[in-house]
Amino acid sequence: MSLKEKLVSSFLAFELDTDIMSKVHKIRSESIKEFEKIGFPNTKDEYWKYTPIKKVLNEKLTLFNKKRHLIEFNRVKDFFLNGIESYKLVFIDGMFDPLWSDTTHEEADVCILSSVLEKEKYNDVIFKYYNKLVNNKESFSLLNSSFSKEGAYIHVPKNVVLDKPVEIVHINTGGESSLMLQPRSLIVLEKNSKAQIIESHYSLTSKSESSLNKADDFIGPLTNSLTEIHINENSNLDYYKVQNDVETSSIIDNTYIDQKSNSGVSCHTFSFGGSIVRNNLNFYQDGNNINSILKGVTILGANQHTDHHTLVHHANPNCESYQEYKGIYDDKSTGVFNGRVVVDKIAQKINAFQQNNNLIIGDNATVNTKPQLEIFADDVKCSHGCTIGQLDKEALFYLKARGINENDAKGLLTYAFANNVLENVKMQVLKSKIKKIIADKIGVNLGFEL
Amino acid sequence: MAYTEEELKKELESQEYQYGFTTDIDSETFPVGLNEDIVKAISKKKNEPEWMTQWRLEAYSAWKEMEEPNWHNVKYKKPDFQSISYFSAPKTNKYKSLDEVDPELIKTFEKLGISIEEQKKLAGVAVDIVMDSVSVATTFRETLAEKGIIFCSISEAIKDYPELVKKYIGKVIPRKDNYYAALNSAVFSDGSFCYIPKGVKCPMELSTYFRINQAGTGQFERTLVIADEGSYVSYLEGCTAPSRDENQLHAAVVELIAMDNAEIKYSTVQNWYPGNKHGKGGVYNFVTKRGLCNTNSKISWTQVETGSAVTWKYPSCILKGDNSIGEFYSIAVTNNYQQADTGTKMIHIGKNTKSTIISKGISAGKSQNSYRGLVQIGKRASNARNFSQCDSLLMGNNCGAHTFPYIEAKNKSAQIEHEATTSKIGEDQIFYCNQRGIDTEKAIALIVNGFSKEVLNKLPMEFAVEAQKLLEISLEGSVG
Amino acid sequence: MLKIENLHVSIDDKEILKGLSLDVKPGEIHAIMGPNGSGKSTLSSVIAGNEDYEVIKGNIFYNDENIEDLSAEERANKGIFMSFQYPVEIPGITVTNFIKTAINSNLKARGEKEMPAGDMLKKIREKSKLLEIDSKFLSRSLNEGFSGGEKKRNEIFQMAMLEPSLAILDETDSGLDIDALKIVANGVNKLKNDNNAIIIITHYQRLLDYILPDFVHVLQDGKITKSGDKSLAIELEEKGYDWI
Repeated sequence: MSLKEKLVSSFLAFELDTDIMSKVHKIRSESIKEFEKIGFPNTKDEYWKYTPIKKVLNEKLTLFNKKRHLIEFNRVKDFFLNGIESYKLVFIDGMFDPLWSDTTHEEADVCILSSVLEKEKYNDVIFKYYNKLVNNKESFSLLNSSFSKEGAYIHVPKNVVLDKPVEIVHINTGGESSLMLQPRSLIVLEKNSKAQIIESHYSLTSKSESSLNKADDFIGPLTNSLTEIHINENSNLDYYKVQNDVETSSIIDNTYIDQKSNSGVSCHTFSFGGSIVRNNLNFYQDGNNINSILKGVTILGANQHTDHHTLVHHANPNCESYQEYKGIYDDKSTGVFNGRVVVDKIAQKINAFQQNNNLIIGDNATVNTKPQLEIFADDVKCSHGCTIGQLDKEALFYLKARGINENDAKGLLTYAFANNVLENVKMQVLKSKIKKIIADKIGVNLGFEL
Repeated sequence: MAYTEEELKKELESQEYQYGFTTDIDSETFPVGLNEDIVKAISKKKNEPEWMTQWRLEAYSAWKEMEEPNWHNVKYKKPDFQSISYFSAPKTNKYKSLDEVDPELIKTFEKLGISIEEQKKLAGVAVDIVMDSVSVATTFRETLAEKGIIFCSISEAIKDYPELVKKYIGKVIPRKDNYYAALNSAVFSDGSFCYIPKGVKCPMELSTYFRINQAGTGQFERTLVIADEGSYVSYLEGCTAPSRDENQLHAAVVELIAMDNAEIKYSTVQNWYPGNKHGKGGVYNFVTKRGLCNTNSKISWTQVETGSAVTWKYPSCILKGDNSIGEFYSIAVTNNYQQADTGTKMIHIGKNTKSTIISKGISAGKSQNSYRGLVQIGKRASNARNFSQCDSLLMGNNCGAHTFPYIEAKNKSAQIEHEATTSKIGEDQIFYCNQRGIDTEKAIALIVNGFSKEVLNKLPMEFAVEAQKLLEISLEGSVG
Repeated sequence: MLKIENLHVSIDDKEILKGLSLDVKPGEIHAIMGPNGSGKSTLSSVIAGNEDYEVIKGNIFYNDENIEDLSAEERANKGIFMSFQYPVEIPGITVTNFIKTAINSNLKARGEKEMPAGDMLKKIREKSKLLEIDSKFLSRSLNEGFSGGEKKRNEIFQMAMLEPSLAILDETDSGLDIDALKIVANGVNKLKNDNNAIIIITHYQRLLDYILPDFVHVLQDGKITKSGDKSLAIELEEKGYDWI
């Protein structure tokens, strides 16, 4: 049985286990029908041209965990931001872990989606926002809509500035083979509100670590995540994605963001590993004076593969978008960037900027990039640029002329190349943490504090 | 200000196709439709040897199995291949001198401003005029023959130089390469053939003017240019098509082969009939152009595309040899309902290969203009370099400008830089010109010229002037 | 300190320096003047060790050591400093972190201990004051978006931090307004002592109004065609290079 057939037939079993009276039951059953129709994409689809997703679509994948795996705190404490207070939503192998989580219902709701779907008092919010932005022609979004029941729910009411950042932490224990996880998050910022959210993905063990994982037939988890974000008028969201996974784990992430007038969203994606990581980040600007910032740093080695697909749809006038993605590729790794900017006819006075720079370090590394523009309005300033190359020779000479040896100079320049993307990261603890990961990944010992 | 935007738009819309007229020449035309018999008949009509007939038939059977591509960013009514006539030739096609040429034809050329008389006098330009698929006049051939240069119609080449044709035809663009290349391989009517022997620098610009002149006639030109080791040739291709109401299909194939140390410069000015202001009529231009570069060789494509209702065209370079160079310079102008999806492919296979892409897209009216390009650096292509720049200029708010650059690098020593910008003609720029006493029309021409300069500069003199004129004609009154 | 003998240098197979000789002793300031294309920048690049330039003939001795085979950083470690005509922009690295890295790299190469953070900070403060550099400037990315004057001031600030024994100032005056020129010149003069030497490469003599050279050399077509004292510079300014 192919994975597609298996998943479609799993739906019955899944429903048995799930409340079919749920307000999203209809969405689930319609989604699985549509998925059955279109199935999985392959590299012949333009949208998946450079990512052989078939590689991770193993027919052994299952939606059902065998058991709950427990972990000790000291093994995961580095996955959290230390030194600041935060709300926490922790999911272990896709299941909510109340022990290390810290939720709230006071000023705002920071809790889990499953309970929101159950409780009547959230009916209005769910009706208004759930599954409203999702592309119902996209296989993985459909799969998530069919099978997801757990994830983060963050609702910030009018005029509220969320007092602490929210950490959504997904941890794969590696205790079970062949897991296919379907986390789903709904984030709503009502008018004139503000929040900071960090979503991270970690795997506890690599293949070599756990005895179970040593088995040749161990199949790493595939996380098919979907996040819907609604940003209402005058609201601001800082959203960070940290993907620092082991080589056996794969992530497909669909994020849909809808922005209303005078809102601002900055989204940083830090991709530091995983077998295949595919990010579809979609921004829809539904109002005036909207600002969207998309930034990314990707540092890969070994056989890892990361694919960033971004879409910024400028549907209204006087808005801005700013994209900057940088990648450093070692060994046999592959980086893909496909940035798409669409400017509708009525969307005059748009400023859209898109930049993708790549360093190839490994002899067998590959970069495929396609920064595309589709413009239907004339009074716009749109530009894109991309480069693939090596470190600048002149800069290298400049550093050497100041007495820095070649290796250090290269390390420093590589670090600077990536570090430059972090200027909009407002949370200092996070910034330092990311800088440290970058320095570690590049293997430079920086002689100054981060 | 000289005009309001509305007035300008109106004037633009009333701009008729300047070269729109038809010539009344008696043509011998095949019945419409396509099948094996038609393919055989075309081959027979041209007295082709058996191997050529077979070659065509194989292409035809491949084509039958293929599907018309739909990945490009253009929308049009798919041609009905069974309602096209695949062969037409002016009845009398052997002229000893110009006096024997149909005076109607001469008049046509005169109206176009490219009369044979004038062309003959034009210093250094040999003209192989293709009028409805068959060569009707060839000049300068003897001068070229002295250097051993072969410049003739592809039909003649098949008869007179079968070994050369056999060796190279379909080598750069295989018959099954794509839908339209397959179709062309099956039914190509005529075209040009050019061979430059070893070490010879072709002393003049070789030039062919293509025209479409037969209502309902598909045009399937086939061009093959071979520059042997150490040789150089500059080839010009230009066309203006008369105004017709029916859509006309043009599916040409151009193959270039640059042997070691050779250089080919291929320039095109394309001004096929773009259809009227309502988007009716106009030429479908689905062209496959590709060059193969051997060691130390260079192929440079320059194109000014102002015509056709729908254009689908990617002159490409396969940089197979070490140190080879590929260049692509393009200006694509679309107005009214025109659609263009054009760009290039630079395939880096050899070491130290270099490519440059400069693409300037200008969209006006209700047109859609897309750049689509591929830069591919193969695993063994060490020290490959590419620089690409794609700029779009929008005029008015009913058009679109799109950019789809594909960049694939598999070698760590690759250096690739791609830049793209989109802008409109600034009111401040126009005001500045106005203030200095330049009217808006002229100001636009000036700005567009400046925008396109990098590409115009790459054209040979004779073409640069014509191209500049075309740009002005295509865009007059596009913006306020 | 620096002794150049019959130096021939080419770039891309084109010979730029055609037999240049120069002798610089500790405590001296030398000015090298010449028209565009005479080889001024080639001279500074080749002393600093830019590998794009090829020495075809001749020698460069620095403290009696032939430095031909030394890399750029080894030369810098030994105290050769070049103020770039066009300093490169390095986004992502702040001026402070850059200079810290440079100082510690040099110390390490000389087998010395890294500078303690407190000392570093003190020194940065002291030297930035000397060049009237704002502290905000120090946390900006290296040279990114700097004006011409800021870039040059930053170069001299780095010189002050690194305390080289031989400093080559390549067209440091270009792009500076008169106030910035005075600040830069003042900085250079304060750094000057009996143990170090400075080579000023310039097209115009205006920097020499503020930094008094002991020797002025005229570089033309890859060779020094005339040497003299400050008065030579003034004469050149009046009469032009054709006069030689």
